[in-house]
Amino acid sequence: MSAILEIDRIEKSFFGIHALKPVTFNVERGAVIGLIGENGAGKSTLMNIIGGVVSPSGGSMRFKGEPYSPRSAADAARAGIAFIHQELNLFGNLSVGENIFVDGYPKRYGLIDRAAITRRTREILGILSLDISPGTPVGTLSPGERQLVEIAKALHLDAELVIFDEPTTSLTPRETARLFEAIDLLRSQGKTIIYISHILADVARLSDTILVLRDGTLVATRQADRISIPDMISLMIGRNLEALFPSRLSVPGEEIVFRIRGISKAGILENVSLEVRRGEILGLFGLMGSGRTELARMIFGLDRVSRGEIEVDGQPIDLSSSVRSRIRSGLAFVTENRRSEGLFMEAPIADNVSIVSLGRYASGPLKLLDEERVSEVASRICQDLRIKAADADRQPVKSLSGGNQQKVVIGKWLLSSPKLLILDEPTRGVDVGAKYEIYSLVDRVAAEGNGILFISSEIEELMGMCDRIAVMSQGEITATFAKPFTDEAILKAAFREQAA
Amino acid sequence: MNGARQTLTDRIIRAAVPLIFLAVLLVFGAMEPGYLSAGNLTNIVKQAAFIGIAAVGMVFVLLTAGIDLSVGSVMYLAPLLAGFFMRETGLGVFPGLLVAILAGMAMGAINGFFIVRLKIIPFIVTLSTLFFFRGAGTFMTSSRQFDFSRDMLDFGLTSLAGIPLPIIVLAIVAAAAHVVLTRTTFGRQVYAVGADAEAARKAGINVGSVRFRVYVISSACAALAGFVLISQIGRLDQAFGEGREFDVIAAAVLGGASLFGGIGTVWSAIVGATLIQAVKTGLVFSGINLYLQPMLQGLVIFVAVLLDTLRSGRLAERMRRTIRAAGEPGPGRK
Amino acid sequence: MKSVSIDSDIVRAEESSGRRGLRGSLARLASRLLLSDYFVFYLTVAYFILLLPFLPTLSNPANLSNILSNTWPLLVVAIGQTFVLTIAGIDLSQGSVVGLSSTVGGILIATAATDTVLGNAPVWGLLIGEGGGALAGLPGSIYLGIAAMLMIGILIGSINGAAIAYLKMPPFMVTLVSMIVFSALAIYLTQSENVSNLPDGFVALGKGDIVSVYLGAKETANIPRRQIYSLVTYPMVIAIVTALAAHVLLSFTVFGRYVYAVGRNRDAAEISGVPVKRVIMLVFVISAVCATIGSILYSARLEAGRPTLGEGNFLLDVIGATVIGGTSLFGGKGKIIWTFFGVLFFVLLSNSLNLMNLSSFHIDMVKGAVILAAALLDVARTRLMQGRLA
Repeated sequence: MSAILEIDRIEKSFFGIHALKPVTFNVERGAVIGLIGENGAGKSTLMNIIGGVVSPSGGSMRFKGEPYSPRSAADAARAGIAFIHQELNLFGNLSVGENIFVDGYPKRYGLIDRAAITRRTREILGILSLDISPGTPVGTLSPGERQLVEIAKALHLDAELVIFDEPTTSLTPRETARLFEAIDLLRSQGKTIIYISHILADVARLSDTILVLRDGTLVATRQADRISIPDMISLMIGRNLEALFPSRLSVPGEEIVFRIRGISKAGILENVSLEVRRGEILGLFGLMGSGRTELARMIFGLDRVSRGEIEVDGQPIDLSSSVRSRIRSGLAFVTENRRSEGLFMEAPIADNVSIVSLGRYASGPLKLLDEERVSEVASRICQDLRIKAADADRQPVKSLSGGNQQKVVIGKWLLSSPKLLILDEPTRGVDVGAKYEIYSLVDRVAAEGNGILFISSEIEELMGMCDRIAVMSQGEITATFAKPFTDEAILKAAFREQAA
Repeated sequence: MNGARQTLTDRIIRAAVPLIFLAVLLVFGAMEPGYLSAGNLTNIVKQAAFIGIAAVGMVFVLLTAGIDLSVGSVMYLAPLLAGFFMRETGLGVFPGLLVAILAGMAMGAINGFFIVRLKIIPFIVTLSTLFFFRGAGTFMTSSRQFDFSRDMLDFGLTSLAGIPLPIIVLAIVAAAAHVVLTRTTFGRQVYAVGADAEAARKAGINVGSVRFRVYVISSACAALAGFVLISQIGRLDQAFGEGREFDVIAAAVLGGASLFGGIGTVWSAIVGATLIQAVKTGLVFSGINLYLQPMLQGLVIFVAVLLDTLRSGRLAERMRRTIRAAGEPGPGRK
Repeated sequence: MKSVSIDSDIVRAEESSGRRGLRGSLARLASRLLLSDYFVFYLTVAYFILLLPFLPTLSNPANLSNILSNTWPLLVVAIGQTFVLTIAGIDLSQGSVVGLSSTVGGILIATAATDTVLGNAPVWGLLIGEGGGALAGLPGSIYLGIAAMLMIGILIGSINGAAIAYLKMPPFMVTLVSMIVFSALAIYLTQSENVSNLPDGFVALGKGDIVSVYLGAKETANIPRRQIYSLVTYPMVIAIVTALAAHVLLSFTVFGRYVYAVGRNRDAAEISGVPVKRVIMLVFVISAVCATIGSILYSARLEAGRPTLGEGNFLLDVIGATVIGGTSLFGGKGKIIWTFFGVLFFVLLSNSLNLMNLSSFHIDMVKGAVILAAALLDVARTRLMQGRLA
């Protein structure tokens, strides 16, 4: 076999920090390459370079034997590389056919030849055995169908290399199975595929060769049948699991601090029940799209619930009550989108950490703020959580690193003295050192007698930090595990339907 | 159980504008049968053509989630420049028309330059040019009325097979815009940019160029609209077109173009403009106090915007991922 | 090879930090000036000083007093707009609030009216007649009238706020509709006529002096009225009190923090327990109430209830002055002191253009250009801020 893509000492730095240290490897024509690594290991940076989204700081690439240096995603597409992003690049208001041809429409008499689009689209959809009309607006398709439309785009471009970045995150198991069939089809046509995923079982199943990235370095290239999933994990993490997590200070008590019963919402959640004790860290594992985040949003009052009961410290919470009143009852929520939902990026640290508990620093009917106290509290939080900042009153949050930003988010909730802290992917995009600090912080909150609901798609951190782990799949709790955990059992529960 | 009810609400929201239109025709027709006469209906379309032509251009801008507040001033300044050109050169109406459109395009290019190159938001740019263009016009006329030659009126009052000129122009503009929007690469890119500018950029679309061009088109349409209406009256006073930007935006939104971008057709502009004119004419027919009429028009716009908001909200809800796909049994059930 | 924009920014930042000497310190001074709270104030002073040699009338006591008296009502209205822009909204309806509250206020408190002017008005004989408005002659009629005007402001603000906060309609369209509807209502009420004969007590609110100065010779027995210049007036006191109250509200209270939070990131505010809908609602009420106070000052100064009071370019003045001050249309950024300087600059600009005998249309043209320049400046400031952080 010959190499279709040769990567030679490609590297990338942002703001003087290496996101990707010089990486060299070849991709053989017709191979399926699995690319794995932790968040921030450099997978996306590498793929964005190959896909023309980002330019490398150094190194060179050859594609099909020719020097290859794309300036844009469109360049990459022209060269024959299709990049299917986690967030799909489709336009809901255009039809399936128009989306497939968006880079260049067939013309007749100077106008778009719709008949040709329809004809060709039907052919491509036929190959994928996707039974939808070429004229259907993409906005009306299911997530799985949209994913297949992206593949149809790759087929139309006659791309020789197709990159998939976490393609199954929002798919149902049935849709995932369909996607894998389509990937097999591409493989049988002799296309080369790079498949990125956190779901190691999928990677193992699909790939010929597995590349492991860690901290911007390519640490291993293995044949897929010669590496086990635990091996993959230890290669990704690069050290013992124990060393990654602080030893727990908190001990779960007897008293139940938080309980939900029978939470349901048509099409999203079905009969979800959970309990968290004082001092307990309850893990909630599930693949993306299993309903974890939706559950957290409903508990917090951001989305409506059809049925069910929520109790904090024995006090029932009205299902129609506002976020504000739920915060007062003792709920706190660190969301998965730190930038868009957690922080005011332009505002100083002090404004960010004080926003939830402002009422405490105010007096009088006008609620005049005691600025000094706000500033005091902010610098205390900075010190306490070891947020590396020069001036809490003036420095905007966006100048902080990801880990420090996340500490600001946690800090604002600590000030509201919560009884249950919900964390949704709290370590996403945070480097290893800061992860450890965040884990210690979570442990400390639990040790003060509060409950923690720790949502994550990283099975290792849940196993390292939690007292119990509940597993969600398809909007239901499929199992709850107590120590000692085995990742196999947890994954099995997460994939429950697919196994059946 | 929920699904069926939602689709019914969806259907009502979608059919709301035709239903309102029908109601307007029936109510005014019942109050005054003359309202439904062929002559009056033609008249409504003829008067709607002015706003309609400009609204067709506005649809392009709204599709990219932009806004163009300067159209009222372009309607004034572009025909004025054409008027000076005709007076100075002694050339006829058609060269004048060409000059008006070119002048409009130049004004659109100014808007586009500030929006695309200098990255100032469309609202501020077009608000500034709204005053700037009108100021330039009144500077040239010294705030006096500008009289066009007799040719202009002759041109304006021509009709083809009994169809008055404004309707013909509207039809041509609408047909051309429809073809551009639905059958050219640029047209589809306008929709793509409005749906998701970031994704459009990733798909290799030159987003800046698309944005630039929609403002040129909007101003060109506004210039044409102004020229056509002036050809009906033969003169241009300094308040001409003032405040019309709101009528134009309202017409496009009323017909179904979304202020949030990505949704709208040429039809929306025409339906919206005609509906507003139908209400205006109806209010005149019914003899309601002149000063009350804007209030009722305002309420019609309010209903249109409310519908647009509801429609967008529903669309967003539908785009949200569903976890438990309908018809697929969950793991816990038999 | 094309480099990503982030990289080139770093290079630029490194270059500029490496710059030494006079050019470097000049650049630092320029950036400090540009980022200062007082930037627009400096600009105003510079403009005044530069123009003075060409336009000596600018510094006449009468003209200065005129500039100030034009500042106060506009300031009050612009303060309301500042709140709205800070939550990333916009309020186009302020002009209609000014017109409607002026009209209703006038109708209620006028001490006399004539059939020939208002005979056709639908309110004739109901709320106003030959003997004046419904409240005329009652004890405290002026206060009752003002209360009624404020009620109108609160009502319109609540309607705007409810549609925007609860129905999630776009502020631009909602306030556009209220602009159209309530302006029309104001004009309808009097059939476009002005209501005159407002009581003296009310008129004093618009032009009454508290402290006046006379700069002429001491021994003159009779000082002509036009040589007495107002120094401290009722509108000044009302505007400054409003501004101080707004400043305290926006900068020193929990509510103020919530306003910034909603403007900076609505989702994050909601998740942090900020009562987002209530904040939006209140902000639109504040905007309309400020417009009403502005309306009181304008009506009193013109000695009439005028339905067309807030029409024409009024809105441009309000939004223009606020934006020039530095408040961002994208939300999250706004200060009362900025608005004060913005209004001062805008009023001085209009005044100077008037003294140059330019027509109102030229003035609009210049204003349009100035607003555009202010927007450009905002873009430059934002880049500068980001450059500093890198």
